[in-house]
Amino acid sequence: MKKKRRGGFIAACVTPAIVLFVIFMIIPTIDVFRMSLYKWGGYTAEKTFVGIENFTKLAKNPKFFQAFQNTILLIVVVTLVTFCLALIFAAILSREKIKGQNFFRIVFYIPNILSVVVISAIFSAIYDPNQGLMNSILNLFRNGKEPILWLGSTRLVIYSVAIAMIWQALGYYMVMYMASMANVPLSLYESASLEGAGRIKQFFSITLPLVWTNIRTTLTFFIISTINMSFLMVKAMTNGGPDGASNVFLSYMYQEAYTNSSYGYGMAIGVAVFVFSFALAGILNAVTKRDEIEF
Amino acid sequence: MKLKKVLCMMLASVMVIGAAACGSGDGGKDDTPADNPPTEQDDNQEDTQEPADSGEEDPGDDAQGGAAGGTLKVAAVETAYGQDMWKEVCAAFEASHEGVTVELTIDKKLEDIITTEMKSGVFPDVIMRAVGAESGLTETFIKDNNLVDLTDVLSMTVPGESGTVGDKILPGFVENSIANPYGDGKTYLMPMFYGPCGLFYNQGLFTEKGWTVPETWDEMWELGDKAKAEGIALFTYPTAGYFDAFFYALLHESMGNDKFQEALKYGEGIWDTPEATAVFDIIEKLASYTESTTPANANDNDFQKNQQLVLDNKALFMPNGNWVIGEMAEAPRAEGFEWGFTALPAVTAGGERASYSFFEQVWMPAGAENQDLGKEFIAFLYSDAAAEIFAKSGAIQPIQGMTDKLDGDNKLYYSIYDTGAVAVMDAFATTDPVEGITARSTFFDPINSLVTGDKTKDDWVSQIKSDSDQLRAALK
Repeated sequence: MKKKRRGGFIAACVTPAIVLFVIFMIIPTIDVFRMSLYKWGGYTAEKTFVGIENFTKLAKNPKFFQAFQNTILLIVVVTLVTFCLALIFAAILSREKIKGQNFFRIVFYIPNILSVVVISAIFSAIYDPNQGLMNSILNLFRNGKEPILWLGSTRLVIYSVAIAMIWQALGYYMVMYMASMANVPLSLYESASLEGAGRIKQFFSITLPLVWTNIRTTLTFFIISTINMSFLMVKAMTNGGPDGASNVFLSYMYQEAYTNSSYGYGMAIGVAVFVFSFALAGILNAVTKRDEIEF
Repeated sequence: MKLKKVLCMMLASVMVIGAAACGSGDGGKDDTPADNPPTEQDDNQEDTQEPADSGEEDPGDDAQGGAAGGTLKVAAVETAYGQDMWKEVCAAFEASHEGVTVELTIDKKLEDIITTEMKSGVFPDVIMRAVGAESGLTETFIKDNNLVDLTDVLSMTVPGESGTVGDKILPGFVENSIANPYGDGKTYLMPMFYGPCGLFYNQGLFTEKGWTVPETWDEMWELGDKAKAEGIALFTYPTAGYFDAFFYALLHESMGNDKFQEALKYGEGIWDTPEATAVFDIIEKLASYTESTTPANANDNDFQKNQQLVLDNKALFMPNGNWVIGEMAEAPRAEGFEWGFTALPAVTAGGERASYSFFEQVWMPAGAENQDLGKEFIAFLYSDAAAEIFAKSGAIQPIQGMTDKLDGDNKLYYSIYDTGAVAVMDAFATTDPVEGITARSTFFDPINSLVTGDKTKDDWVSQIKSDSDQLRAALK
């Protein structure tokens, strides 16, 4: 009797959350999948069912593949560079005694609290071909050759966006790694140094294995946040230009859904992004699976 | 333990109440004004809400002064001209039409406000939003065949005047592919404020150097070489999107009207004609004369840096519209700077010189409830009373006698057609939505790549040809 009452109580508590989750998460997601099968302008109630036509068109569209390529490039470059730098800085700041430790911690974290619009304004000043910081520094070595067009060249622009994204994300992941490194017992390092292990050996044999769970979590974060942040950065910095060279998944989807009267097609891109990010996160999770080390 | 249970139940019920509150908010359409940014417009709408209710009870049976009473929903985008002129015009319409209430929604992000209601089938009666906006609102309505035929508005008498609307509108403004998007001779979009687009330059610099403004493209290249010797680039552009007006005008100059119309319908083989090749050649050459850092700033954030090049005497010409003067009003400039404005140079000596006439449009969605009253309102927009209110804010309509009333800078721009330039007003023909292809990404965006050398003219032209094939197949 008591058990039954307890079950009822739990159900009563959980139902509202489940209902909200279904209404605001599950149904809209299903809706995206459903809308991807329609031809629809997006503003009125008129829709035509076209089956998988949107997907077949997508598979033939070079612009979609360009956006796909750019997204993968950003995921790889931003993840790798940010991951390595964040780990190194976190290890230095949490293990070494250097002057102004807190100062560095704050400096690295500041970009993370800035809004994307501010970051894009900062970087558009840095990348300015005539007065920008980048070209001014490079000009010391290049002797007044033609200025480099960081945001104007179709070959360079995506790397320019990547630099801004790395700068923005570094502090966040550094703090995440520092938090888990702080939990590693000092005694391990002490015994390791008594055994004669150097700093680098300690990092790879103690620090890295012990923060592995945390690293796995952040890798999933990297994928999701790169897909989302790249949209914001691109939208604010270049709007996909020049000549569509900096389009990423979501900016291309936005362009099609909201400016080319092809909402259904946009949703088909949405489905592709959904499947891609799920698959990638799943693969990463499987590949990085290790036996958890306890301390 | 008990306390914990009570707490859990309380939290759960808070969630339920929260969800329920959201639900009721969605249902009540009266809540929409609350979503608007807090501007004066909110007060305005609240004021009009009360009579609106009483007006809806007797829709249109007591005709007064030719118009039915009732509530008219007008949605207008707020542009550089500001909100006040629309509020004044709506008030003037109410004053001249007894029993009529105008509910005005005006915002810079108009789509964000009206889209939710439109998806549930509630449409504004009259919408003022031009084609070419990033949201593609107007284009979507055109492509979905969701517009009210406004041809009969042309034969309506302008309220309070004796002439008809059609007689009052300047020739050309309703006989083009923007106003008649389906090419069936019917008018679906009515022309509102217009402005000539052409090349802007620093008149002061030309006077100082003793240069003359080129009348043909050959003279243009000569000037380009002279300027280059002095470290000045011949050309720059704010963003590649600004090439639309430029491209249409140049195409018209080179092809003449018949072939131009064919090109707008993506006619088969049209891009292989010598006239089209001449246009591509000119743009390719122009790209080589373009200030080299232009593509780096040719985005929505930094385009003013490109416009600044003209003010700083670093580039001679840029394609633009007369809004650039207001846009750059506060910007620093070279000594002796004075705005100059010219139509495009002619392709051959003594040939046609063209200037694209950009105009905004007002239209009615097919779902509009008060269509008669909406048409009456549109007719009223062309009255002298309304035109005067608009002109006060600098918004000039294409109606007879308007240019005579202008003075100062405005006279210079609007009188460009009096000096022999041909006005071009059309745009690429309407198609069903073609996924993955837009006129901008096909025709204009690649110009950035031409300037940086990442693409060649042949790449560009072959992309135009293959995309045109797809667009032609989707023509309305």
